[in-house]
Amino acid sequence: MKSRFFEKVKPFLYLAPFIVGVTIFTLYPIVNVVKMSLMENYKYLTGDFTGYGFGNFKTVIEDQYFRQAMGNTLKYVAVVIPISTCLAVVIATLLNSIKKFQALLQTAYFLPMVTSVTAVGLAWRFMFNYKQGVINYVLSLFGVPAIDWLGATASNFSALCVYGIWAILPFTIILLVSGLQNIDPMYYTAAKVDGAKPLRIFFRITIPLLAPTIFLVLTVNCISCFKVYNELFPLFAGPGIAYNLFTVVYYIYYEFRVLTPAKYGLAAAAALMLFGVIFVVNMLKSFVEKKLSN
Amino acid sequence: MRVRLENITKQFNKDTKAVNNFSAVIESGELVTLLGPSGCGKSTMLNMLSGILIPTEGKIYFDDDDVTEMPSDQRGIGLVFQNYALYPHMTVLENICFPLEIKKVPKAERIARATEMAKLVHVDMLLDRKPGQLSGGQQQRVAIARALVKQPRLLLLDEPLSNLDARLRIEMREEIRRIQQETKVTAIFVTHDQEEAMSISDHIILMKDGFLQQFDEPQVLYDSPANCFTADFLGNPPINKMEGVVRNGEVYVTDANLPSGVKIDLPEGKEVYLSFRAESAEYNPEASLKGTVIMTSVMGKEKITSIKLGNMEVRAYMDAKLTLKSGQEIGIGFKDTGVFVFDRETGERYL
Ligand SMILES: Nc1ncnc2c1ncn2[C@@H]1O[C@H](COP(=O)(O)OP(=O)(O)OP(=O)(O)O)[C@@H](O)[C@H]1O
Ligand SMILES: [Mg+2]
Repeated sequence: MKSRFFEKVKPFLYLAPFIVGVTIFTLYPIVNVVKMSLMENYKYLTGDFTGYGFGNFKTVIEDQYFRQAMGNTLKYVAVVIPISTCLAVVIATLLNSIKKFQALLQTAYFLPMVTSVTAVGLAWRFMFNYKQGVINYVLSLFGVPAIDWLGATASNFSALCVYGIWAILPFTIILLVSGLQNIDPMYYTAAKVDGAKPLRIFFRITIPLLAPTIFLVLTVNCISCFKVYNELFPLFAGPGIAYNLFTVVYYIYYEFRVLTPAKYGLAAAAALMLFGVIFVVNMLKSFVEKKLSN
Repeated sequence: MRVRLENITKQFNKDTKAVNNFSAVIESGELVTLLGPSGCGKSTMLNMLSGILIPTEGKIYFDDDDVTEMPSDQRGIGLVFQNYALYPHMTVLENICFPLEIKKVPKAERIARATEMAKLVHVDMLLDRKPGQLSGGQQQRVAIARALVKQPRLLLLDEPLSNLDARLRIEMREEIRRIQQETKVTAIFVTHDQEEAMSISDHIILMKDGFLQQFDEPQVLYDSPANCFTADFLGNPPINKMEGVVRNGEVYVTDANLPSGVKIDLPEGKEVYLSFRAESAEYNPEASLKGTVIMTSVMGKEKITSIKLGNMEVRAYMDAKLTLKSGQEIGIGFKDTGVFVFDRETGERYL
């Protein structure tokens, strides 16, 4: 009898370390964030709060800074995701079609991933420089007047997007190239024997067969773009000029780290709302993916 | 369409000549099989016909057109792959339509022609399925429909049945034969299975190490092999092959240390193989060649008998009415057909 009971419990014993880890480091914080978001007028140091309710959510939604942050974030996702995905698909396809120097190229496009993003971000800061930057220099060759990329509210969002696209390209390309390499070359042979031209092969065969990888890339990149925050520091050392580049994660950070006294409740509510948006976007994506595969 | 191959050689690198000085003429409307063991250059030959590979030397003519270096899509060929190569994201209908879509055939005509083709290969009730929802045999039918839909001058099939189980292979090879005869398309079919080749071909091209060994009708290949390799390759059960040496104008079987009774006009001491088919031996008490029965098993009105001859074993069909016990010594005589003598060095046939 005892041994049978043990047999039943055994799998859970094996799982125990993992479950404990997840509980402490993932589950507990999540539950706590949800709880915090519902506690009104919560004071972290004393632990006082006036009661449970949706007050924090209301305050956050009505906060003009939060609205701006959410607007910026959505705009950022809407610009960076399509451009970076399209670029990455094209670059990956070209790279995959080059049979020589494959190894060398693979190291080359892996480079941005292994170099420190912050260090390279600083290099971008020089490149974006109003007076000496190489970007303005190149543009001037085409007769475009100098743009104050980092110093003007009109253009610093573009600079952020350019940098953001550059930063997620390598990882995206690597995933896509591995996806491309999983496509059996016989499909290409079959299409070529029938006389299909490269463009048709690309749109009718490569893209559909690569779709699962593209959707994976979309999911991963969407999540990382919604959390845009790190990218602000090397370029602007903060959220742009006069907070014009406030993003949701920056807003969260601001609420409980910059403000005194820190507003933990508001930060938690904002975090949950960001989660809600990411969740909805991902559901939409899964829905489209299912529709397309049928 | 008539296919003419003139002195085709394909060299991949310094020491691999996959196809060597290969010449043949394939008549219009025939189904010809490229047969040979693995690595003998069948796929290489087929890929040169399809334009996937370009020969190192030699010329390929389709009727009177020199197509040696013509791109695949201009040759008017249909290709069926061993793994079908159906596009997994397209339905059966879309798959069959795709070659027409490339040719910019209007959509309505595309669908009409694809549907007609699907009917011919009996997949017209599966048009909305994806390849992943089809059995291997159904996928192969779709692949054939896709290859035929643009009305090619030549249909090329590279081991199209090797991914199917035994029963389906027999069914599908008959289907391929039927479809080929209904469409009258010239077809070249690659296989390493001699039984498959024997059952569906008008002519068989037997290859070995890149060289053409024999190009004949199946029955001729079987009854009158050009050399030792052809004789060994064809037939089930495999032909019996015994080492022999010529003594006084007769083949002396060295394995059994006995004269065979097979007369041949060759120099004394010539080393040869004496080969005979299982159905070409007969029970003959007067024969000089004697062996010991190991085992018999009845198959209809004949029984297949394993016989020990010296230190080797041969198989022969015997009349089922004979009572043969294991251990019994019997004389083995030969009929007029199916008995061959080959040179032991070159494989050249003497009888
Ligand atoms: N791309 C290539 N480069 C170098 N050698 C090759 C190449 N393709 C084939 N070969 C060689 O050419 C020979 C013939 O190959 P091929 O694929 O035509 O054989 P096959 O008769 O189709 O065999 P199988 O029945 O196994 O498919 C083999 O020795 C093979 O190793
Ligand atoms: Mg092959």
